[in-house]
Amino acid sequence: MGNIDDLIDKLARDTAVVKPAPHPYLLSLQWMGVAAAYLILALVFSGLRPDLMLNLQQPWFVTEIAALVCIFIATSLSAALLAFPDLHQKRSAAFAPALAFVLFLLVMFCAWNADSPPAPLPVHSFECTISITLVALLPAAWTLYVMRKYASTHCRWAGSIALLFAFSVGALWLRLYEINDSILHVVEWHYLPMIVFGLAGLWLGKTVLKW
Amino acid sequence: MKSYIINMFVTENTDNFEALMILSLNGDQRAYASLLKETSRLLRPFLAKRLSFTNEVDDLLQEILISIHKARHTYDGKRPYKPWVYAIARFRLQDYLRAHYSDQLRQALDLSEVEESLPEYVTETAISYESIRREVQKLPAKQATILQLMHEEGYTAKEVAVKMGMNESAVKVAAHRAYKILRKKLEK
Repeated sequence: MGNIDDLIDKLARDTAVVKPAPHPYLLSLQWMGVAAAYLILALVFSGLRPDLMLNLQQPWFVTEIAALVCIFIATSLSAALLAFPDLHQKRSAAFAPALAFVLFLLVMFCAWNADSPPAPLPVHSFECTISITLVALLPAAWTLYVMRKYASTHCRWAGSIALLFAFSVGALWLRLYEINDSILHVVEWHYLPMIVFGLAGLWLGKTVLKW
Repeated sequence: MKSYIINMFVTENTDNFEALMILSLNGDQRAYASLLKETSRLLRPFLAKRLSFTNEVDDLLQEILISIHKARHTYDGKRPYKPWVYAIARFRLQDYLRAHYSDQLRQALDLSEVEESLPEYVTETAISYESIRREVQKLPAKQATILQLMHEEGYTAKEVAVKMGMNESAVKVAAHRAYKILRKKLEK
């Protein structure tokens, strides 16, 4: 008991004016802003796919991009909430990515059904996964670095959602850059690896976000 | 003066964690000490319910207080304080229990580590069905017959007594003596 009183005295003596962390919605907006700027920059360097305007008239392509943007927003919001010990007392909002992923799966299923006759598979395969990973590295490192400044009590989930957020940037970039309409290829080499990296984030979060 | 009175009121009103925290974030050391004291009073029963020893509770409480200190910038005073502090306490408790049980696992001896120092394979025995049978045959004829009837052919002591013209207790006594002789011989 004496030790605790001593500790309290010591902590009280050490305290000074503390600037509270920004609201998670603001934090999420900041992350989205920076990630969007990074995406635009990446697209400026790589160039847009030449048939983008034509594809933007395809309803399933537009829906797929919209669903990816939903994942981008939901994961950013969730990662910001997960950075706080009590999820800023907005537990349901922290689980928003689950809804976004269900929507995304539904969209992919419908797009796959509508892909008749199936679009030809591109000649490349794992190169897409590598490209997405390379583009996602910077946002992933940055998001995890910022999250470390807070105090997550859900380190594994926070790590996973942070990686999904970063990989959604990479996936968006590749969909807007690569000339490819094959849903099978996109699922196999764009989105499934993204899920795998999300799972790897469970381990990474535990390691990186420990405090 | 006004702020001093407000300060005094809030510091006295120890239930008002949120107000104490706002003052603490503004650098009020007295409010912060009160807040930490009240928080440790709040958390002690929570931890005591989940841990066996008082020293464990004290150790963990100290860790939680340090964590609150480290994470205080994640609280803005605009939402209830208790869910925030319990989230940190639960997180540290889980960490503590995980470390505690993994320590126990590390210290536990694996059977393979001590296997070689054991005198012999304890589950194996030199006594086989054949060796018992050999020893039974060396017994006095009456005892050997009783054991054969009871253990090979499945007769009860009563049935053996009828078959051999003895009374039941004499059969049981003879069988008991035979067991003693057998045990001595097989233990050698």
